[in-house]
Amino acid sequence: MKTTDILVIGGGAAGLSAAAEAASAGAKVTILESDLQLGGQLIKQTHKFFGSKDEYAGTRGYKIADILLEEIRAAGDRVEVHTNTTVTGYYREDGTITAMRGEEEYFRVQAKKVVVATGAQERLIPFPNNDLPGVYGAGAVQTLMNVYGVLPGKRVLMVGAGNIGLIVSYQLMQAGVDVAAVVEAMPKIGGYWVHAAKIRRLGVPIYLQHSIKEAYGKDVIEGATIQEVDNTCSGIGNEKRIDCDIICMAVGLSPTTELCWQAGCAMQYVPQLCGYVPKRDRTMRTSHPDLWIAGDASGIEEASAAMVEGRIAGLNAAASLGLPVKAEGMKEYWQRLDHLRAGEVGEKIRSGIGQVLVDTWEGK
Amino acid sequence: MHQRTADVIIVGGGVHGCAGAYELAKAGVKVALFEANYLSSGGSGRSAAGIRQHFGTEVNCRLAQYNVQCFTHLEEELGAELPLDYAQWGYMWVAYTDSCLDQLKKNVDLQNSLGTPSVIMTPGEVKAKWPYLRLDGIIGAAFCHQDGHINPQTMTIAYGRQAERLGATVKTHSPVERLLASGDKITGVVVNGEEWHADKVVLTAGPWSTPLAATVGVELPVSPERHNLLVTEQVEPFQCPMVLCLDDGAYFKQCPNGSFFLGRDDAGEPKTTESGNSWKFLEGVTKSVLSRIPVLSGVRVVRQWSGPYDNTPDHQAIIDWAPVEGLLINCGWSGHGLQFGPSGGRLIREMVTGQPTFVDIRRFRLARFAENDLFFEPAYI
Amino acid sequence: MRMIDEHPILEYRHGQRVKFSFDGREMEGYEGEPIAMALHANGVRIYRETPEMKRPRGFFCAIGKCSSCFMVVDGVPNVRTCVTPLTAGMNVQTQRGKGTVALEEA
Repeated sequence: MKTTDILVIGGGAAGLSAAAEAASAGAKVTILESDLQLGGQLIKQTHKFFGSKDEYAGTRGYKIADILLEEIRAAGDRVEVHTNTTVTGYYREDGTITAMRGEEEYFRVQAKKVVVATGAQERLIPFPNNDLPGVYGAGAVQTLMNVYGVLPGKRVLMVGAGNIGLIVSYQLMQAGVDVAAVVEAMPKIGGYWVHAAKIRRLGVPIYLQHSIKEAYGKDVIEGATIQEVDNTCSGIGNEKRIDCDIICMAVGLSPTTELCWQAGCAMQYVPQLCGYVPKRDRTMRTSHPDLWIAGDASGIEEASAAMVEGRIAGLNAAASLGLPVKAEGMKEYWQRLDHLRAGEVGEKIRSGIGQVLVDTWEGK
Repeated sequence: MHQRTADVIIVGGGVHGCAGAYELAKAGVKVALFEANYLSSGGSGRSAAGIRQHFGTEVNCRLAQYNVQCFTHLEEELGAELPLDYAQWGYMWVAYTDSCLDQLKKNVDLQNSLGTPSVIMTPGEVKAKWPYLRLDGIIGAAFCHQDGHINPQTMTIAYGRQAERLGATVKTHSPVERLLASGDKITGVVVNGEEWHADKVVLTAGPWSTPLAATVGVELPVSPERHNLLVTEQVEPFQCPMVLCLDDGAYFKQCPNGSFFLGRDDAGEPKTTESGNSWKFLEGVTKSVLSRIPVLSGVRVVRQWSGPYDNTPDHQAIIDWAPVEGLLINCGWSGHGLQFGPSGGRLIREMVTGQPTFVDIRRFRLARFAENDLFFEPAYI
Repeated sequence: MRMIDEHPILEYRHGQRVKFSFDGREMEGYEGEPIAMALHANGVRIYRETPEMKRPRGFFCAIGKCSSCFMVVDGVPNVRTCVTPLTAGMNVQTQRGKGTVALEEA
């Protein structure tokens, strides 16, 4: 059995940030990551982040991952990292956590405090043949081409014109893949204008108020019939056949929160945050006194917010152990979060967070 | 105006409650069943779903026989929308001591005398029939090939749905807050903030029967005990029977879809209806079961859960009218209630409609505790 | 091989190339990278056949959360090939239906 001060479950943007922050306060930290390397979704991002200097504006996503990894490395043996390791359970009665390294090795962890930074998982929309090989989540397509240098296919139909759909379409073209079209069920593009403009300039048609009627192919995807849809997402004709070998799903994510349920955290369904998420206070602590939440697992948002939430969680988990933390940390980090969530663009997130942010756990 | 009355109100939507609703509705009785959560959400749906005829008392043997006959055609009888997955791959009780084997032999003799085709097997016969079982140190086993498995959730739900088709009112997410009585006569229940009236109320709420009975001054010696179970990933089924190892109480069985249930009789578990999982259970039961069926090494655990036994002092059910007139108790099945569902439903119907019961249920009376005439069933786990 | 030859931004760092077998055919991939990636690079996208309806399946999420990419690896079924690292000499097979427990001991 392993013991540690702070266990960080998930080594992506939020998890690495939490670990780095907690380690800088002197905590003994253990990161358990189910993938083969750290970095989560950050290592797949080729585009330059925007925002302020604090949010690494102008730096490409995968390089931001390198910056975080360097911070972790600088903490030396205060941070223990296990990749290819999946946490399998949170046992509420004594806070024991079970995990599997690869397929073979089972072990237990006892941690004083836990940060859950387990991110999210891809959604899928229903249509005939949506299970054929070639229907890939957007994250999967990014993993193939940006992490491992494998060509995802020759021609892609992208479903979803939110930021992920637009960014991944551009990344596909950077990798030499033809993007046949983007379909979006809503009457307007969900992502930032700058991303949409980039792919339009390169000749990719974006069909608004369109969705997939059905995919076709014998053993693998060979194409899809798209159709115009009304505001109930029902087909209203204008069908087009689009030959392709990949249908990329960028239709949203769901927070990965099984561990929070197992730990007995107070949970709430919040549509603006894309699913069930734990209630939390401003320190990102859940209703469980030893469990913090950060990143997409706390509500689907984006990488910059995930990193700041990770800092808040790591700082407060360390503080709860009596370790010395930056005096102005909370103020600085919340300023950055409020800035990221400001304006019209941040309305949905603010409304979502407002439903699960509690002032205090006293009397609850 | 909505009349909130019924001939009979049933409290608790587990298998006994739902089977009772079905039997009564079939007999033309106006039934209302209230379940706090969803049908089978209590002990019934969380059960390891082992069906056995291995008992050491005549009444339990007769009831078990009746139930096995029922299971064979139950899916069709209930017009079940989801398959009941009934399988008869057998159930084996494995003895590690002479006194244990002696008792198993007595039990099997009794079963045979009543027509149940169970047998005592030697270690060599067990080894020959199931070469993949490593039962070192056993001195013998009791086995019945007619025993097996049924899907506890789909069976309970099928009973509830058929009851509805036959005219019963079945309300889920409707916890009964308390029973209602006038003097020493039951008058109904309070549920969803409303009063429902009936001359007869049947309490089939497992361990939750105790606090509910208390609301009309009836003391039930039924208490909860948490039990963990786990299930593995599915593998191609090879008809592995249910095996109960009587040294440490570990048991395992293969479900028709190929997954394995692993469990263990553990008196150290907390006495609560609250769900909760134990990592000590996970480690203990996998070690114990793997030593008996090593070919399962490498098969992955998929899920772990818990469910409440409703225990009585002699680990046998209470099937009896309560001291409050019109209140019928059917609970306290102490971990073997699921397989008695069909007979439980029939007995509820017979007692409520004033017919003689098809078996003598005197041993299940409530007063036996006060009379110190406990019902010891030797084949208890 | 369906690898990306030149990327405008990224430089790929691969480990050692090793041999492995897929359904009896010899293939090459990068040691330590997920099996599914090596298969995809070799043009193999169908990883298993579902038990009931015999549908072909490949991967979907590629981060070990969806169970679409299960294959039999070195005799072990239901291996998440999208997060399991490739090793030299690995024996990877299309999984047809559920895994099988070998009842005869070696």
